[in-house]
Amino acid sequence: MLFKVFPVGELIRLFEILSADRIVGPVKKGEDQHGHSLYDFDVVHDFAELRLDYTQTIHSAKNYFLPYREDLCTFTFQDAAGAGGDETGGSGDGQGRPNAAGARDGGSGDWQKEVDYGVYAPLVLFGLHPCDINALNKLDKVLLGGRYPNPFYGEKRANMFIVGHSCNPQPFCFCKSMGTDSAIRGFDLFLTRMDDLYFAEVLSSRAFHLLEQIDCREPDSREHRRYLNEMAVKESLFVAHVDTSDLTKILDLEFQAPVWKEWGEKCLSCGTCAQVCPTCYCYGVEEHVDMDLNHGRKEKKLYSCNLLDFAVVAGGHNFRPESHTRLKYRYYHKHRGFVEAFEESLCVGCGRCGQSCLARITVPEVIASVRASK
Amino acid sequence: MKTELDFIQPVAGEQFEYSYKAEITNVYPLTRMEKLYQIQLVDPVEREQFIFRPGQFVMLELPGIGEAPFSISSSPVRHGDIELCIRAAGNMTRFLDRVGRGTRVGISGPFGTHFPVEKMEGEDILLIAGGLGIAPLRSPILAVLEKRSRYGQVDIMYGARRPSELLFGYEYAMWRQFDVGLNIIVDQEEPGWQGPVGLITELLKQRIADSVPDRFREQTSVIICGPPVMFRFVCDLLISAGVPVEKIFVSLERRMHCGRGKCCRCNIGSTYTCLDGPVFDYWSVLNLKEAI
Amino acid sequence: MTKNKTFLGVPVARPKVGFFELSSCEGCQLQLLNNEATLLDFLSLVEIVRFREGMKEASDEYEIAFVEGSVTRADEEERLKNIREKARIVVALGSCACFGGVNQLKNRFHDLEWVKKEVYGSFPIETQEVKPLSAVIKVDLEIYGCPIKKEEVERIVTALVLGEEIHHPQYPVCMECKARENICLFDLGEPCLGPVTRAGCDAWCPSNRLGCWGCRGPAPEANLTRLQIIMAERGISQERMIDRLECFGGFAGFVADIRVKKEEAK
Repeated sequence: MLFKVFPVGELIRLFEILSADRIVGPVKKGEDQHGHSLYDFDVVHDFAELRLDYTQTIHSAKNYFLPYREDLCTFTFQDAAGAGGDETGGSGDGQGRPNAAGARDGGSGDWQKEVDYGVYAPLVLFGLHPCDINALNKLDKVLLGGRYPNPFYGEKRANMFIVGHSCNPQPFCFCKSMGTDSAIRGFDLFLTRMDDLYFAEVLSSRAFHLLEQIDCREPDSREHRRYLNEMAVKESLFVAHVDTSDLTKILDLEFQAPVWKEWGEKCLSCGTCAQVCPTCYCYGVEEHVDMDLNHGRKEKKLYSCNLLDFAVVAGGHNFRPESHTRLKYRYYHKHRGFVEAFEESLCVGCGRCGQSCLARITVPEVIASVRASK
Repeated sequence: MKTELDFIQPVAGEQFEYSYKAEITNVYPLTRMEKLYQIQLVDPVEREQFIFRPGQFVMLELPGIGEAPFSISSSPVRHGDIELCIRAAGNMTRFLDRVGRGTRVGISGPFGTHFPVEKMEGEDILLIAGGLGIAPLRSPILAVLEKRSRYGQVDIMYGARRPSELLFGYEYAMWRQFDVGLNIIVDQEEPGWQGPVGLITELLKQRIADSVPDRFREQTSVIICGPPVMFRFVCDLLISAGVPVEKIFVSLERRMHCGRGKCCRCNIGSTYTCLDGPVFDYWSVLNLKEAI
Repeated sequence: MTKNKTFLGVPVARPKVGFFELSSCEGCQLQLLNNEATLLDFLSLVEIVRFREGMKEASDEYEIAFVEGSVTRADEEERLKNIREKARIVVALGSCACFGGVNQLKNRFHDLEWVKKEVYGSFPIETQEVKPLSAVIKVDLEIYGCPIKKEEVERIVTALVLGEEIHHPQYPVCMECKARENICLFDLGEPCLGPVTRAGCDAWCPSNRLGCWGCRGPAPEANLTRLQIIMAERGISQERMIDRLECFGGFAGFVADIRVKKEEAK
């Protein structure tokens, strides 16, 4: 990895060079009733709007790579008018099968399908914290790996330029426990603020050439030490912790623990945790037909395993009818299933789910309670 | 930057949102609830290249209405000219129920794991189906019958709620011609029913009692599909009779929207029913929480 | 309009549709007329034989009856039964038809004669306890909302014409509110019924910084017990919460439960 330093004042130039493309970054959305600032990712038109001092955004940036709603395809129907209505059906086929009686000839129920991955322009994600960069790395594993990579996600990822930014650990942040408090890949440029200087980690050639356009130099050994010191200070600021040792085994052992039911009683089954989570990627599909009956579309909507009908199959059987079984499943997928498949947790410890949960269900508390099960 | 984003594009039929254009060539009502749909890929080249194995499933798409997974019910020799046995149980299948011959549908796949019938050659085969579970089992049944001489004793046990709900009744005589022990049991009698009444486990207990214990333990492979409650009872019986868990194969049902391991709806822990299943050996099932 | 229209080879009929109003503001029907862009498509899909908000003619031959409003008079009961006899499908259109709506607020006063006198003075008027349609007749389909959401109705009508099943969201408004990346109303100190109310409105009110009033009724398995704790933790009084829950009538059962428990606690 290459390292550079540049004066803080140069950041605006960096932003302006990048602003040839659409830039998404943290902005202030308002204040809560106690006067605390509330942040979210949004398209940033003006450098002054960019709030790199943000604590944590309410939502992750996933709307820009895993939109809450996305059309998977559109259909054009070409039903010939006047077709249909032949009720005679076919005759037996000589294999002793019943006659295809009642099987009406459908006429020309034909259609065309068009698929659009929804990528029109490059995107700059400016100011992602390490947790969110690691979230992308984890999503890459599941969405781009395996036999069937998802091009809707893949095309957006391939068109993305990521500028990471150092953070100040908040009381709810437990990324350190999840090993996601620093990012070693998955970004183009990572900026660590050191008072008047930015310490830049350069991971792509595009970022390298970008830095050539601003006032930038190699860091000296004193600045190396300052950087390491910044890291050490950050390390010391974490308050929330999750003990992940042997967690996969403990989750298996405590599958029937009564404590799950207690959390289940609190859970609103509202899906908020999944919607704000940077790594929740599951979805449902709805198909729509326009009122002219000539067009239709298939829409993907991000879903949540906490929702009542997540695991309902045709005929009505629900594999997880009770709220605690669904809540438990969410923890099993994040902290056990994913670990088994990829040797890392799907949770990045950003703490958003706990912050947004009206029932105050937080990951550190749930896991601690399960670990403490007798 | 070492790009981790260079992903491999899979072959056409596997790509996201790619579906083969297929035509419903025939529809056979089997019972009040189920119909057998003959579906043929329209393109002759695609049809020939559509190779599947017994137990695999396809995603069937009715554009604008819905898409859902269905295990293929026909023999794998027939490639892209498949049969799906479908119960009108949800919005999509109820619409399908009204669709006639000649209608174009989308087919993607084949997806998932299969019953390893070729590895079972030389063994006695036990195929156990409950209710609609016969639909995914018809494919391995036909595959085994096509190479009948390569297998030992072949038994099919099939339990249904009522005699009128039995599927593929017109084919039983043909199956029996291949020296197959076909035993059927129903929960509730109806006029004219002369077979046994009870649970499928009774058929299995009888089969176990009639068998040579060593041979049953060492030379039997089992293929099962049915409602979740049936799995545990049947598998417990088999295990106590000494059948190794890795020689018992089950086909699981889950909600799916993609068939490609991305929608996460069929996920059970680290396992995706669409990728790692739908066919699992029972050892894997024992390791999955809430699998059955 | 061509005859014998088909969709995927399945014949699609153009059903005769009537719109009716009982005690209501007719705002739901007005919603349907609001978007001229899709009105012609709507008319190609169904044949409207009765729609007071939009046409003079009225026929009594219809397959699908959309009924807006709640039942507050004996003659309305008769009218509704009459509609039920004629229509193959009766759709309760909007929260008044589904739950009684805002009208049912008067039900909380046990002395209806007093209510009548307070509101109408000496003006002679017949009014009884407010009922949703389902208290009088069998309702085939409910379309929630105050007002209904035009896009949702259009989608449902299309599905009805195609013979599809109608599925309402099984989750609360929070899911849709988060997808719109709103600030949570509770963070602003405002009460909101989003966590327990059936979604489908695309978080219409919260997206405009108004807490949800529960016009679509409870989501299946809504966790009202937890909502009470959430409200209490944030200093929102139980009376204020009950006021909201009572507004449209969808939570009537829950409100009764809370009141019973309150009485028991005394």
